[in-house]
Amino acid sequence: MAQCVQSVQELVQDSFTPMVAVLCSETAERMSRKNRLSFAELLRPFCRLTSEGHIRDPNNVLQSVKGLRISVNGLCPSLKPPSSTLTPAQRQVLHHIVLSSQPQEGAVSSISAGDYQLSFSGTTPWFEAYREAFLQTMPSSEHEFLNHYLACLLVVSSSETVPFEQFLKLSQEQHQIQHSGEYSSPKWFIPNTLKYYVLLHDVSQGDDHRAETVFEDMKQKYGSQGCYLLKINSRSEGPSDQDQMPDPWSQYLHKSYLHSPVSAPPPISVFFANSTKEHKRLTRGSAACALFPGVTSDTPSQSLDTAALPQLSACDTSRRASDSITSGAPGGHGACLTLNDHDRIRQFIQEFTFRGLLPHVEKNIRQLNDQLVSRKGLSRSLFTATKKWFGGGKAPEKSVAEPKSTTGLLYPPEAPELQIRKMADLCFLVQHYELAYSCYHTAKKDFLSDQAMLYAAGALEMAAVSAFLQPGAPRPYPAHYMDTAIQTYKDTCRNMVLAERCTLLSVDILKSQGKYAEAATLLIKMTSEDSDLRSALLLEQAAHCFVNMKTPMVRKFAFHMILAGHRFSKAGQRRHALRCYCQAMQVYQDRGWSLAEDHINFTIGRQSFTLQQTEKAVDAFKVILEKESQQTATQQGAFLREYLYVFKVSEGLSELPLPCIDSSATRVYFGPERRPAEGEKQAATHVSLDQEYDQDTATMWCQLELQLVCAANKGAAPSAFQPAQYCLHSQTDNLRRPLAVLQGQSNPHTRGVEEPLKVALSLSDLTLLWRFTADGDEAVLSNEDAPTALVLSCFYTLCNVCIDLCFCAGETLLVRGRQELKIQGLRLNQTKEEKMSVRHGRDERLNPIVTAPMPSWRYGVFFLHFPSALLCGEIRKAYIEFCNMSSVGLRGLRVVSTHPTFFTFGSSSSPHTPDTPVTPHSAQNCSAYKTVVASEPQQPPHVLVAAQDFLQPSSIISIPIEGGILKPGASMQLPLWLRGPDKEGVHEINFLFYYESTEKGGKISHRVLRHTVFICSSRSLSVQASACHTPRPVPSLTTPCPSRCMLRDSGVFQSEAGVKEFHIVQVSSCGQRWCLQSCINPSYHKEWCLSSRERAKLCFRAVQCRAPPDAAEKYTFADLNLASERVVSSATPCGDFFFRCCEAQTQSPAEQAQTLELDLHLIVLWKAFVVEDNKQLILEGQLHVALQNVGQKSTEPQSLDTADMMLLKFRSEPTPPPAAPKLDLSDLLRTNLSYPESHNHTFSSILTRAFLGLYLWSQRRVFCCSEGADPCTLFSWVGKSQYRLVLSPEEVLCLPLRACFYSAGVYDLSSCRVLVRPIQSDAPPESVHSHCPALIIINNA
Amino acid sequence: MAVCIAVIAKENYPLYIRSVPTQNELKFHYTVHTSLDVVEEKISAVGKSIGDQRELYLGLLYPTEDYKVYGYVTNSKVKFVIVVDSSNTSLRDNEIRSMFRKLHNSFTDVMCNPFHNPGDQIQSRTFDGIVSGMMVQTA
Repeated sequence: MAQCVQSVQELVQDSFTPMVAVLCSETAERMSRKNRLSFAELLRPFCRLTSEGHIRDPNNVLQSVKGLRISVNGLCPSLKPPSSTLTPAQRQVLHHIVLSSQPQEGAVSSISAGDYQLSFSGTTPWFEAYREAFLQTMPSSEHEFLNHYLACLLVVSSSETVPFEQFLKLSQEQHQIQHSGEYSSPKWFIPNTLKYYVLLHDVSQGDDHRAETVFEDMKQKYGSQGCYLLKINSRSEGPSDQDQMPDPWSQYLHKSYLHSPVSAPPPISVFFANSTKEHKRLTRGSAACALFPGVTSDTPSQSLDTAALPQLSACDTSRRASDSITSGAPGGHGACLTLNDHDRIRQFIQEFTFRGLLPHVEKNIRQLNDQLVSRKGLSRSLFTATKKWFGGGKAPEKSVAEPKSTTGLLYPPEAPELQIRKMADLCFLVQHYELAYSCYHTAKKDFLSDQAMLYAAGALEMAAVSAFLQPGAPRPYPAHYMDTAIQTYKDTCRNMVLAERCTLLSVDILKSQGKYAEAATLLIKMTSEDSDLRSALLLEQAAHCFVNMKTPMVRKFAFHMILAGHRFSKAGQRRHALRCYCQAMQVYQDRGWSLAEDHINFTIGRQSFTLQQTEKAVDAFKVILEKESQQTATQQGAFLREYLYVFKVSEGLSELPLPCIDSSATRVYFGPERRPAEGEKQAATHVSLDQEYDQDTATMWCQLELQLVCAANKGAAPSAFQPAQYCLHSQTDNLRRPLAVLQGQSNPHTRGVEEPLKVALSLSDLTLLWRFTADGDEAVLSNEDAPTALVLSCFYTLCNVCIDLCFCAGETLLVRGRQELKIQGLRLNQTKEEKMSVRHGRDERLNPIVTAPMPSWRYGVFFLHFPSALLCGEIRKAYIEFCNMSSVGLRGLRVVSTHPTFFTFGSSSSPHTPDTPVTPHSAQNCSAYKTVVASEPQQPPHVLVAAQDFLQPSSIISIPIEGGILKPGASMQLPLWLRGPDKEGVHEINFLFYYESTEKGGKISHRVLRHTVFICSSRSLSVQASACHTPRPVPSLTTPCPSRCMLRDSGVFQSEAGVKEFHIVQVSSCGQRWCLQSCINPSYHKEWCLSSRERAKLCFRAVQCRAPPDAAEKYTFADLNLASERVVSSATPCGDFFFRCCEAQTQSPAEQAQTLELDLHLIVLWKAFVVEDNKQLILEGQLHVALQNVGQKSTEPQSLDTADMMLLKFRSEPTPPPAAPKLDLSDLLRTNLSYPESHNHTFSSILTRAFLGLYLWSQRRVFCCSEGADPCTLFSWVGKSQYRLVLSPEEVLCLPLRACFYSAGVYDLSSCRVLVRPIQSDAPPESVHSHCPALIIINNA
Repeated sequence: MAVCIAVIAKENYPLYIRSVPTQNELKFHYTVHTSLDVVEEKISAVGKSIGDQRELYLGLLYPTEDYKVYGYVTNSKVKFVIVVDSSNTSLRDNEIRSMFRKLHNSFTDVMCNPFHNPGDQIQSRTFDGIVSGMMVQTA
């Protein structure tokens, strides 16, 4: 139970006070009305006695009466008998009282029980107000006398002409009310009621002397104990210094109309109490109108009260009127009273009580005691000392004609049993609890024996109360008395009002003794269906009891709070209902009791909504929807519908809980919308929202960008380099605020919409809201204001998503709401503190800084004729187009790629583009190469080219712009050559374009654009080359300086779908010292044509450059065309790719050239005939082979499987160098194969022979044997091919050999072996073999 | 037979609540939740006097107008609550006791499941079956 302000003793005492009626003459009433108070009200604040009174009990023992309070009420008789239930009007009043009493702010106490932390209002003023009002509203009943009038004040004004006449009149009126039997209420305690005559004197108006005289006469007539002269109104009415006066009436003001109902029971509403009185006066013909000057003007002050009660019935208006009469304007009471007057009133009450009331009570107690003692014998009662004093008595006369009723026995008013009760009540009223208890006890026994249940219950109740109030507590509080009383009231008598009073008293008493559990039980028992308000209040109190127990029962508290809330809402007390539910919520919240939690939230939502607290309602409903719910789909649908309905009503764009947005998955994209490719134009891919994040790719782009920035800043990256990020999401580095360019470009995108409900929702019309703050300025704009003109550098915050949420169930509810995008950064886990707690880093993803406009392509980079598949080494020409679509000029265009060998823009300054007309054939085939008509088969043209012309300083390529600036709106198209990667497979090729604004000083120094292509390269030709010296006709002992070189090419190509055949069109060389001279294949003029898996061999002769390079860095290009057209290899695509490839393979071809013997690069140009879609296409391509040393084989850098390699390998593998035994035999012996360089022969029908000679010389004698081995070469040695001979020192021998060739061609004659061993030793002969091949050309003559 | 059977975790959140489908489920949630106060009261009272040798069965927690609520607490402070219709007078204390014992055994089996995460809602089909067997059959 909630703590209350008064102590329990006080409370119980105040529940039962001596009742005093007031009868006032008109003039006296008018006099008090000057203070806007009736006379009874005038006295009310002073009704508690401050001093101690004394009373003698029947045993003549002096009893002190402390802090007695009397209750003064205007007398208003009524005809109807009181009922045992509350009338609708009374209920209305109670309802209103509870309604108007709301918890005060700050009156919140918190309690922690276990892991529960509760905060609730510790005091329940509405309950106290209810209790007080209820106890006052108690209808006077037959079975008890506590609220019967003990005395009557007869008040007459001193201004009356004949006051005694008035006194007589009032006295008669009182007598008539009491004794005529017309009025069933009020009830009177004792037949001869104490009449106390009061002469009211208006000091400001009346004549003091006359009043004194009249009072003297009164003293004469009524005795000095029975009359009083009360002087009031010392001050004339006026506004002067009113405010300094205390207003003791104000606290009684709201209760003022509650005191009257006791005397004015139904059927008239309690509010009529005063007005009926007034009406009575009016009928008596007095000028009452003058009494209410403030009736109409005061009504507004009451509007607060009445506004809360719109459903009040017709009596409302009159109630308001009467209210305003009694209460008036705040602070307007007692306007004519000085503090002196207050004292006088206080004194008057004291005088009346001590001189009039208490002696009267004392006298009556004595009388009753006497009566009782005389009537009842010792045998009947166990009267304590009293009986011993007045021993003896008669046997009780049992009244025979007692009418039986449902409540049991009904006694006539004069029954002796009632006399005991009457005496007990009197004793109780004057605080003689001991005697009261014994009387009640006796009465209880009598009533019980008579089966008068109502009486017995009353006696039990009062016995318990007086036992409790006894000072020093001689006996324990008989709680069972109370329980029995309540039980009897409730079940036997069906008098809920009395049962309720009894419960309220008992609960308070139990509470004071700490018996909260019992109190709660009583309270819960008292809840019933007949009154929702009472049940609600009692349940709430029960809940408070549970939480106040020694070990707080929090859950019971919560449960009973919910029950109370339910009852409150049924009783129409929505505010209280809401409060109850909210308090209960604290227990259920987040503890896993989701079903209950949902229910409470739902109710809170509904109640809040009906109370116009839409926000709270929305919040409550939101909680239901936000959590994972166990409800069924239909229930969820109901929740949702309710929520959406409320949401719709609530104003503004509130937050929607649905759908659940996974905020951390938000991606922010800065850039234009993606455009589809326009026709053949293929736009740069750039960055798109749906790209999966890949750390490697990001690093790659970052490095590329760094390269570009370095290049742009002459080698050094600026310290504040920050890679451009166009799409921000959870994995990107979001610590810095991104820089964005305002062009309506930002485009956040959130994925991960999650739907916790089982109900289908449809979302539409999603809008992104934002607000921005200008630099340093606090002005915050939002979308609703026109955002077109924006200041530089403002901070955006993209905050919300606006969503139309549509829910269809029966009717369609469409609401528009928003959701905040709350993004937390990654959890920090570096320091210890961060590890201990959960901290998140910043995430500035949604707060871009908007800067000055920057040029943008808005996907203004297009690619034309861009292939997706290429053969390895294939050359294709495409176009790239740059369009500047922004309003700012653009410059410093650069590009970098992960595969620099893949593409070229051509060399800007190709000086060797002879203006030879492009052959019509090449134009026809859209050849990528620049070709010229082949000149006569003669010396291939040699072109000297500097490497610098083709090489960029780094892999970054600056793209030349005409005039240096690409103007706004301008576009530019550049050719672009592509070469298929040498490795077969799918290649991801990334381009990064870089550009700057022409305007300097922006926050963004540059922008980049990304492009990614996937190229599928398929296998084409593979080339192997080796170089060897040509044999010299004249042997020489000096180191041979080869002037000619024999080159062999061989190509093989894998059959690829669609490719019919490859033609080797041209072989070009490039080197600093050597160049190709001619093709020595006899059939070289024929196009070399290879079909699938074929192999061909080409031999070329190379010579040293005629013009030794004057500049070291110059390269000589020599083209040997095998077809009719000659490709200018030094021109743009070919030379470019060549240099790029060289660069990619080695650091720099020039650097290594020094160490290399040969350093000749071959460029093999081919054409492939491809059938595609029944059309024959000609594809072109080029392969690069570098020859570094003579005799060394080198392949084109295509990696082939080892199996293929095996096939391609020539048989003539270089033998491992012999392990020299003691002397190097090859030093001793020199061999020289002399043969004609070429031989013309007509291959008719017989074999052809050739004469061969072998020279041999030695310094020592050696045994030598020579044999033409290698039978499986394409020729064979014939005739005598083996010799065994001994060579003496310095001997030169010539051995003739013959070879037979079957067809024209180039043959290697080096296959003959010479085996040597010293003549003395028996060691096996060793081979002396010249590594260099000896080639012979057999021409078909 | 029971109209509602609930298993409540040590931290007083429901691990399992099953009630007769014909009646308002919410009501049982409230009833079971409220009974936890009594359970705690009983535990603290028993714990002091006897010590370790504690009777797991707590007996009748409290009677309401319509139902009788019985409680049982395992040694690990997991609570079992069985709500029985007040009109059902045939049920003896012993039967309730055996119901709890059966429930406890089945609960132990659930906990022994290596794939069950203690503290999670019970979703075992076997446990469901045992509980169904104890419930009032509404056919």
